Amino acid sequence: MSTSQPLSQEEETAPAQPAAPASPNAVDVENLDFYYGDYHALHGVNLQIPAHKVTAFIGPSGCGKSTLLRCFNRMNDLVPESHIKHGSIKVHGTDINGPNVDPIELRKRVGMVFQKSNPFPKSIYENVVYGLRIQGRNKRAELDEIVERSLRAAALWDEVKDRLHESGVGLSGGQQQRLCIARAIAVEPEIILMDEPCSALDPIATSKVEELIFDLKKSYTIIIVTHNMQQAGRCSDLTAFFYLGRLIEIDRTEKIFTNPTQKQTEDYITGRFG
Amino acid sequence: MIAIIVLGLITFFLFREGAEFFPQNLQNLRLYRKAGLEYVGLMREQTAAHATLNRSLQDLRVRQIMAMLKAGKTQEEAQAALAEFDTYATQFDAAVGDLRSLVSDLTDEVTAIKEKAKIHDDALEQREFLLKEGKKTEADAVKTATVDFKAELAPVLATFPAYTAAVATLKQNLEVVLEKPLTLPVHEYQPRYKHFQNAVRAYLKTFPETEEKLKNWRADAPVPWWRSLTSFLFGTEWITNSFWQDWYGILPLLAGSLLVSIIALLIAVPLGVCAAVYVSELAQPAEAKFIKPYLEFISAIPSVVLGFFGIAVLGEHIRQLTQWHALSWISAFPIAERLNAFTAGALLALMAIPTIFSLSEDALNSIPRHFKEASYALGATRLQTILRVLVPASLSGIVSAVLLGFGRVIGETMVVLLCAGNRIAIPDFTEGIGTVFQPVHTMTGIVAQELGEVANGTLHYRALFMVGLFLFFLALFINWLAQTVVRKYKISIG
Repeated sequence: MSTSQPLSQEEETAPAQPAAPASPNAVDVENLDFYYGDYHALHGVNLQIPAHKVTAFIGPSGCGKSTLLRCFNRMNDLVPESHIKHGSIKVHGTDINGPNVDPIELRKRVGMVFQKSNPFPKSIYENVVYGLRIQGRNKRAELDEIVERSLRAAALWDEVKDRLHESGVGLSGGQQQRLCIARAIAVEPEIILMDEPCSALDPIATSKVEELIFDLKKSYTIIIVTHNMQQAGRCSDLTAFFYLGRLIEIDRTEKIFTNPTQKQTEDYITGRFG
Repeated sequence: MIAIIVLGLITFFLFREGAEFFPQNLQNLRLYRKAGLEYVGLMREQTAAHATLNRSLQDLRVRQIMAMLKAGKTQEEAQAALAEFDTYATQFDAAVGDLRSLVSDLTDEVTAIKEKAKIHDDALEQREFLLKEGKKTEADAVKTATVDFKAELAPVLATFPAYTAAVATLKQNLEVVLEKPLTLPVHEYQPRYKHFQNAVRAYLKTFPETEEKLKNWRADAPVPWWRSLTSFLFGTEWITNSFWQDWYGILPLLAGSLLVSIIALLIAVPLGVCAAVYVSELAQPAEAKFIKPYLEFISAIPSVVLGFFGIAVLGEHIRQLTQWHALSWISAFPIAERLNAFTAGALLALMAIPTIFSLSEDALNSIPRHFKEASYALGATRLQTILRVLVPASLSGIVSAVLLGFGRVIGETMVVLLCAGNRIAIPDFTEGIGTVFQPVHTMTGIVAQELGEVANGTLHYRALFMVGLFLFFLALFINWLAQTVVRKYKISIG
């Protein structure tokens, strides 16, 4: 199966999804080969990510874990000359690189939180409702309700409820990151991708975000890329280890950390390299 | 450092040459009053207003002839049909006869007084000069005759009864004319005639006021010092080398400059900003590499070449375009003047686009990439991302780009001098879209045009330096504003 055309998001494809066969997995990756220009970034990755679990991607820098994550919502479309050469990615059974898939629609279903907190230079309120406004949902009462629900879900409500109309950029780093999470869940995605969400945060802010991840997995499938082994151990159900663009091993987190099958995984986890 | 010194020197020399303007202009204004020009000026205004009405009547006549010729009548038939109208017009014109001859006599008298005063001043100056040179005998030989303004002016003021009589006749005549019903041979112009009648009625209502002003006029009433400043800043006339009185009011020039600049910005801002958005967000790298240098090359075209292009190509083509029948529903079309504010504005837009484009693009590029990613990750389209995130986030940069573009445009000289039409008058803003097709003169244009021809040190010379000074401060102000906008509204990007 080859869907290697560089799809760009101005494609006027119909948002309607073909009826997806029920799949227990949130994401199925089959034999994925991904290139940045000539650089072969992912080599034949096969991976199943179950729904309503937290899956952590670990591995040394440049091993392709962020690249894979960004394939799930087709953020790599924004990178010129990047393309998938072989293989497919299915989200809830639908091939997301299929000709009928609109990346705009896909990104509403697969939200993302970035390494660097990136609230818009707008008010806290406007940050949260951004994803709704661009869908044309502007009813005040509805927005108010979603803002409160999202901020509560992101454990930020009590800290900001009195200053919803102040700039989101004025918050502390940890608060900004939780605001970004609130912004991502306001559009009610099925999957939330987190690309090293805590790497720029202090330990207290980090623990808050981790607690949040634990709460969120009841409603969402979460995939988190992290460099922090303890973090992967603390908050994930499954852990996948990547090395040089290959998936070395994926298993239950306890298993990976206590008794990995692969030598490379063990070396990495015990700190022999990486 | 050098820049600061140069800036200081420019300010200093502009001030040195320009500051003398105010005392000289004050003297000029005082003489205007002392010699009775102001007094006669009030009457002149009255006759001038009549002349304007008369012109509109003539205009109505020409329009009617045109309409009739178009309807297939011969020239003779048209003339014949207008016989009644012509008698009416002659009567209207003749009504002012008495007043006109009175004003003409008085004009001669007061200008003669002014001339005497000037000769006296010149003689004084010459004597002083000779004394300085040490030539005492020659200095004593220079004859001076002090002007006794009061005595000279007495016969002028004594004509007041004659004036009231002349005005009474005028009023009577006009009322008679007004009473007469007139049916125009071309019916669709009847409303215009109604309009004319109303204008005449309004004109008649101003008579008592003028009379009152004349009655209370005193030659020895003081002219306060600030009049020199206000007559410059708020004066609506820029008249030089006039036999009657020179006026140096900056308003018509300022209005012209602003009109041209606004036209230029209305064209340049959308184009420049959209080009910046396109190049920084939408274009392929190869396209951007092609577009950028070409846009920036525009700013390297000498403005005199652009001006030449405006005269030879753009102005003529715009005029031909306005003559298209398909566009005749626009009331201002076809336009009369080839060189007008719009022609100049369109070319200035070309000069402002590179400035606005480069600075807006810098502003857009300075937005961190993660804003864009956040927006896309939430399911926004490119357009939504540009309009809701990128443009708002770079707005301060874009606004300052526009302000600097404005500064570029208002300071531009050659293009406006060649293409704006150079008519010194405040544009008639009642004409709607036609306003932009009127010829105007600008502050930069007038300095370039007149400075080479004036005698060093005269009032006119000083006035031009004042215009330069005004421009200089305007440019400083715009730059300051642009920097303030950037500093104050720059969004702190976490």
